[in-house]
Amino acid sequence: MPILEVKDIHKSFDSEVILKGISFSMDAGESVSIIGSSGSGKTTLLRCLNFLETPDEGTITVQGEQIFDAHAPALKPEEIRERRLHFGLVFQQFNLFPQYTALENVCLAPKITSEKPDIKQIEETGRKLLDQMGLSDRMNNYPHQLSGGQQQRVAIARALALKPDILCFDEPTSALDPELTGEVLKVIRGLAEQKTTMIIVTHEMSFARDVSDKVIFMDGGVIVEQGAPDDVINNPKEERTRQFLAGYSGIRK
Amino acid sequence: MFVTVTLSLLEGFLGTIKLFALTLLLSLPLGLILSFGSMEKLGVIRYPIRFLIWVIRGTPLMLQLLVIYYGPGIFFGVNIWGGSPSGRFTAALVAFVINYSCYFSEIFRGGIQSIPVGQYEAGQVLGMTKKQIFFKVVLLQVIKRIVPPMSNEIITLVKDTSLARVIAVYEIIWNGQAFIKSSGIIWPLFYTGAFYLIFSGLLTLLFGYIEKKLSYFR
Ligand SMILES: Nc1ncnc2c1ncn2[C@@H]1O[C@H](COP(=O)(O)OP(=O)(O)OP(=O)(O)O)[C@@H](O)[C@H]1O
Ligand SMILES: [Mg+2]
Repeated sequence: MPILEVKDIHKSFDSEVILKGISFSMDAGESVSIIGSSGSGKTTLLRCLNFLETPDEGTITVQGEQIFDAHAPALKPEEIRERRLHFGLVFQQFNLFPQYTALENVCLAPKITSEKPDIKQIEETGRKLLDQMGLSDRMNNYPHQLSGGQQQRVAIARALALKPDILCFDEPTSALDPELTGEVLKVIRGLAEQKTTMIIVTHEMSFARDVSDKVIFMDGGVIVEQGAPDDVINNPKEERTRQFLAGYSGIRK
Repeated sequence: MFVTVTLSLLEGFLGTIKLFALTLLLSLPLGLILSFGSMEKLGVIRYPIRFLIWVIRGTPLMLQLLVIYYGPGIFFGVNIWGGSPSGRFTAALVAFVINYSCYFSEIFRGGIQSIPVGQYEAGQVLGMTKKQIFFKVVLLQVIKRIVPPMSNEIITLVKDTSLARVIAVYEIIWNGQAFIKSSGIIWPLFYTGAFYLIFSGLLTLLFGYIEKKLSYFR
């Protein structure tokens, strides 16, 4: 059984159709990269998975449990809260909470959203995650005292602290100075090696090819091509994929 | 004479402080409620509140004091406030609370709307409730941003309390002025300035302290 099955997701804003029937599935432990030009709907798709947008059409199924169906009655806020926790989301702009330290950022949600929080356990987990992100000496720093790369790694730890089934990244390195992208990509690579289930929207083509089990190319609100990274990135079948990849030099090794 | 004047002014200043403190106490929460109302999606709530804020901010506080105190008597034939000092004080308090709630609500609205939407979305995807996001994520950031405009507004309030004397509410200027008639001296009136200065000086220090306390994050 796939861990995630997305079927026929449609989404419009006002009268503009942004997603025109997105379907894909993935297995536990896989990393899927989504590539595509600006405006093709990649962010919108991740926002739909995380219940930040409500699709007009389609279903989302996690581990056989249908958590969203556009035709079902609207979900109550507490149902949304519970179901969105199947997913985690790492934003392009990090969105850390400025008044909390790195460790507090990681621990806040687990502390305030669980019924009977085990504070010690939560902080222990938080420290371990930050340590895993290479931030053991930055736990008590506030976001403004951290570099962009460090902030993004805190954001990744914060998302992991809730143990999502599927962790989504929306261009996690696009807001970073080029010399800082490496440290974040390294952390994500490490997560992939540990078989964390991930969906990564990225413009880093060689990273997508090296790290993911599957690559999805989106254009104009549809999936044009999906498959093994070597096939999609090195030997694309579709003309549109070829055109898009032609804009990225130096990825074909 | 100096001691007599000082004591009398102190007594008047007590009235000033009372009006100041009660106005603050009531208009801060009311201002918060109004700010939510003015950001409400529903037009039936938002438009009347925005209209009220426009009227209150667009007319002088002195006029509002007169309308609130004399209005009921003129339009409905009953002076709901009564003629006693405490009745006049209540009328002044009502006018001040309405006026300052509107000003505060605009400051709150500015502060709340300046928080990036990403902060809310980060809270949402972490499974927080709306209430948790407001109190645990947004509120302190809003407070940090509104401390400077609030401190301005609150210091203005200290001085605005002197307007209450148009409906004969006893406060420090009233008492200072009384010496012109009773003793033929004008310096007590000027002397009131010292009380305002000391009080607003203390408030400035307090707000400076709060600002510094909140400077640990950006
Ligand atoms: N809330 C919204 N209201 C109206 N239009 C929107 C909204 N969100 C996104 N759009 C539009 O949807 C289209 C797709 O946006 P989306 O952000 O999903 O693209 P993307 O593939 O993530 O692009 P990029 O690579 O630039 O991040 C864009 O044209 C955008 O203007
Ligand atoms: Mg995007």
